[in-house]
Amino acid sequence: MHDFLPTAPASLTSVTPAARTSRRALGIAGLLAVAAAHPAAAYTVTLTAAAPLTVYLQVGVGSFTNDYINGGQPENNTTINTVSATVAAGAVGNGTAQAMTTNSTATQSYWDGYTYCSVPGQLYIGGFYRTTGAATAAARVTATVPAALTNATGQTIPFSKIQWTSSGNGDTGAEPFPAGTFSNGGVQSVGAMSSNTWNESCWTFTYLNNTVPAAGTYTGVVLYTLSAP
Amino acid sequence: MMAVRTGLPAAFFLALVLSIIWPSPAISKPIVIDDSGTQALEPSVSMHWKSATPSRGAANNLMIGTTTIRVHLNVMPWLKHSGHIYLSLPAQAPGAISASWVAQGRFMSGQVHSGNRVLIYAGPISTAFLEDVLQFQFSVDGSLMQRHVPVNFHFEFDED
Repeated sequence: MHDFLPTAPASLTSVTPAARTSRRALGIAGLLAVAAAHPAAAYTVTLTAAAPLTVYLQVGVGSFTNDYINGGQPENNTTINTVSATVAAGAVGNGTAQAMTTNSTATQSYWDGYTYCSVPGQLYIGGFYRTTGAATAAARVTATVPAALTNATGQTIPFSKIQWTSSGNGDTGAEPFPAGTFSNGGVQSVGAMSSNTWNESCWTFTYLNNTVPAAGTYTGVVLYTLSAP
Repeated sequence: MMAVRTGLPAAFFLALVLSIIWPSPAISKPIVIDDSGTQALEPSVSMHWKSATPSRGAANNLMIGTTTIRVHLNVMPWLKHSGHIYLSLPAQAPGAISASWVAQGRFMSGQVHSGNRVLIYAGPISTAFLEDVLQFQFSVDGSLMQRHVPVNFHFEFDED
């Protein structure tokens, strides 16, 4: 379609050089007009990534419209769950770790509805982050931890007296949110998520019970944060 | 000058034009159709995750986006002829892209993966232009997506 050359035809040899030039110009113009009417066009649309970054973190209960495999979408849930232990008077400070339990009812993974954690002994933690482009750095999950748990009269138990193990029903491989021990104040890493993957673990907390604090109810709030790169 | 212009060998130009429009029958390679009148009703295609939630194995990173395009093809060169019109989505950066569309009746609905073409019309060319409004859905792996990704496609004519 475009492999023509605007050469002067033999019929132009009988005209003057000036006229030949003029006709050649007209010929080129005519050919270009034809070419413009039938361009070898390619249509271009531009795909634009719109709000591609999505993050979801669930510690304890969470909300999904349905399981992921059934088209579920994440929702907000503002519930603050507790993990607690009650130490019998005769056992306080005896060095026998005390299992802690949660009021969370989250046992099933919102990925497929599989019963991944067992309550009240385990606390579900899971989530994901989505982003476009090639694989990027992992998102971090951190815990902002007070220096200590406190009772009504201001006495304390160091947060480092609480630790956790990590597992999941039928699980294999490394946990995305591994076992650990709280630090006494500050922000500590408790796990990481690779981009565009679902991550989940079940935490089992214990109170070390190797000191003798004053009687009372000691509380503290740990804030978990997901930070995507 | 005017006398010279009056004396232009019109037959020559006509012959030359015809040689441009109708290449040798021996050459059967598809011809790209003039689609310069084609217009998208939206300036760009907003791509969203098909699922806001990723799978465990990161196997579902599909992003999708829809747009409406008014396709306007200049088929005047093949008026009173018959042929096949294809939508061609060439292989292009950033990688595998697919498109599906729903036509309004003039063309056929279908889907195509990059590097291929799909028939959208077959039959006689009885008008100088063929038009239809296509509802496109583009799909691309999110790992291939940058902020803006241009996607080129064109229409090809195979004369019967």
